[in-house]
Amino acid sequence: MTYVRAVDPFPLESADHTKLHEFYARLARGVLATTRCTACGTRAWPPRGFCGECASDRLEWVDLPGDGVVHAFTVQETGLPSGFEGPRVFAIVKVDGLRVFTVLTGVDPAKVEIGQRVRLAPLRVADDPKGNPRWLPAFAAA
Amino acid sequence: MKKVALVGAGVSKFGVRKATYRDLIWEAGKACFDSVPGLKPKDVEGLVVGSVMPERTAFQSHISSLAAEALGIKPTALSARTEHMCASGTVGIRYAYAFIASGLADLVMVLGVEKLNQPSGDEAILNMGTGVDREWEAAFGLTAPPCFALAAQRHMAQYGTTEEQLARVGVKNHNHAAKNPNAHFSKGATLDQVLCSKMIATPLRLFMCSPITDGAAAVLVASEERARTLTDTPVWIRGTGQALDGFQLTSLHDDYAHWPAMKRAADAAYAMAGVGPTDVDLAEVHDCFAIAELIAYEELGFCKKGEAGRFVAAGRSDYGGDVVVNPRGGLIGCGHPLGATGVAQAAEVFAQLRDEAGPRQVANADIGLTHNNSGMGEHVVMIYGREAT
Repeated sequence: MTYVRAVDPFPLESADHTKLHEFYARLARGVLATTRCTACGTRAWPPRGFCGECASDRLEWVDLPGDGVVHAFTVQETGLPSGFEGPRVFAIVKVDGLRVFTVLTGVDPAKVEIGQRVRLAPLRVADDPKGNPRWLPAFAAA
Repeated sequence: MKKVALVGAGVSKFGVRKATYRDLIWEAGKACFDSVPGLKPKDVEGLVVGSVMPERTAFQSHISSLAAEALGIKPTALSARTEHMCASGTVGIRYAYAFIASGLADLVMVLGVEKLNQPSGDEAILNMGTGVDREWEAAFGLTAPPCFALAAQRHMAQYGTTEEQLARVGVKNHNHAAKNPNAHFSKGATLDQVLCSKMIATPLRLFMCSPITDGAAAVLVASEERARTLTDTPVWIRGTGQALDGFQLTSLHDDYAHWPAMKRAADAAYAMAGVGPTDVDLAEVHDCFAIAELIAYEELGFCKKGEAGRFVAAGRSDYGGDVVVNPRGGLIGCGHPLGATGVAQAAEVFAQLRDEAGPRQVANADIGLTHNNSGMGEHVVMIYGREAT
C-alpha cells in the first residue's frame, strides 16, 4: 500500500458542490462578483449565504471593478505548503472599498508597494476531480 | 459561582517527537497525576481534550475518549473535545472552569495534545492551512506566517518598529526556553543569530517564528472544596475573557497592527479578577510569531499602542522588568503543538505561582496571565492568582 496524501487544496467550484457557483462562473469570465443584500444594502466580501448585518437572505449578485489597490502585502520565501512554491506575494487588495485577500502573480516581489494599482487576473488551478476547470481570484500588476 | 483552582499540572517534552498521540497523552497525563500525590485516575470526574487536527495528522477522531481511556479516567460529569485552532487548550480550560464554577463538576482534567510532524515536512505545513479559510485563503497557499507578517508590516510602517525589536522577542524567548527542559529548543539565541536566520515571510525570520512541534500538557481543575483536600497551594482562576473579531483576514480590523478582540478579552478578564495590567507579574502570551508578542504587550495594557518594540528592547518584558513575558520560552522557544499550547501556558503559571519553576522562577509572583489566540482576531485571556481574591 502506498502512502497517499489525499488533499485537494482548491475549492469545489461547480454547481454540484457550492451554492456560490455563480461567483466562480463569473470569475471564469474574468469578472469579480460578490453578494449584496437587497434588504439593507450591505455588500459583503467574500459572497455570503445570508446577510451578516440584517440576516436577510434576499441577496443579489453584483459585479465589482476589475482593479484595486494594494492595502497590505507580504512575500513568503520559504515554508509554503506542499504544492505551493515561493516566493509568493500574498496581498490584501482594496476593490471598491472591499478588502479582498489574494496573491499577486507576475510581479517582481521586490517591487510591490502599498498603494500600487493591480487588476484582477483569474488564476487557473488544477481541474476538479470531474475535470471541471477551476479559477481563483488572483491579481496582477495593472 | 464557586471558586475554581488549578491543583495539578504536567507537560510532556515538546519537540519533533518519536511518539504517537497516545504516547504524548500518557506523558503529560502521568506528569499531571504525579503533581497531586495520592490522586488516582478514577477520582477525576471529567476530561476536556484540546486537540486540533488528529483527523488530519493521524487519521483519528474521537480523541477525547481515546485520551480518557489512555489516562484511566471514566468521566461522570464532563467529557468533551475543544477545537478552536491554536486556542483549543485555553478554550478547554474555560469549559472546565464553567462546569466547576456552576457546580456541575468538582474535578476535571484538561489535556491538550498534538502530533503535527509528519514523514514529509511540507505535508505538515499543508495541514496548517486547515486553520485559515480553506476556500478564500488556504486555496492560495496561505498558512499562518504571512498573516502575522501583514501585522508586522503594518506595525513597522505605523510605529517605526524595527526588525531588531522583533528579533529581541526571539532572543528573549529562545533564551528562556534554554532553561526549560520540556522546550523544543534548548540552545538559546543571540541577536545576530535571529537577524541572520532564514527569511520566512517578510519581515519574519525563522527564529521569530514558532516551529512545528509535537507535545501534550495537562492541568487538573477543581472546586474550592475539592482543591482544599488535594493541595495546600492551589492556584486560583481569578478571571477569564474571550472575544472574536473575525475569522478571515478580510474580516479583521482594517489595520492589522490593531487586535481589538484581544483588548476586549483582557478587559473582561481583568474586570473579573479585580486586577489591572500593572498587577501582572508574569504573562504567558501567544508568541506564535514575534509580532504577536509585541502586539500583546499593547492590547494587554503592558505598554501604550506603538511602544512595544521599545518595551522589549529596554528589557521591560524580561526578568527584572515590568512583567516577565513567556518565562517558559513561549511558542517560539517551546514550540507550538496547537491544542497543547494553552494548557502548557497554564501549567507554567501553576508552577510559577507555587514557586516551583526552578531556574525560570519569577520572584514574588502573585498574579499570572495567559493569552492564547487563534489567528489575529480570536483571543482568550486567563488570570490566575496565588490568592483566591
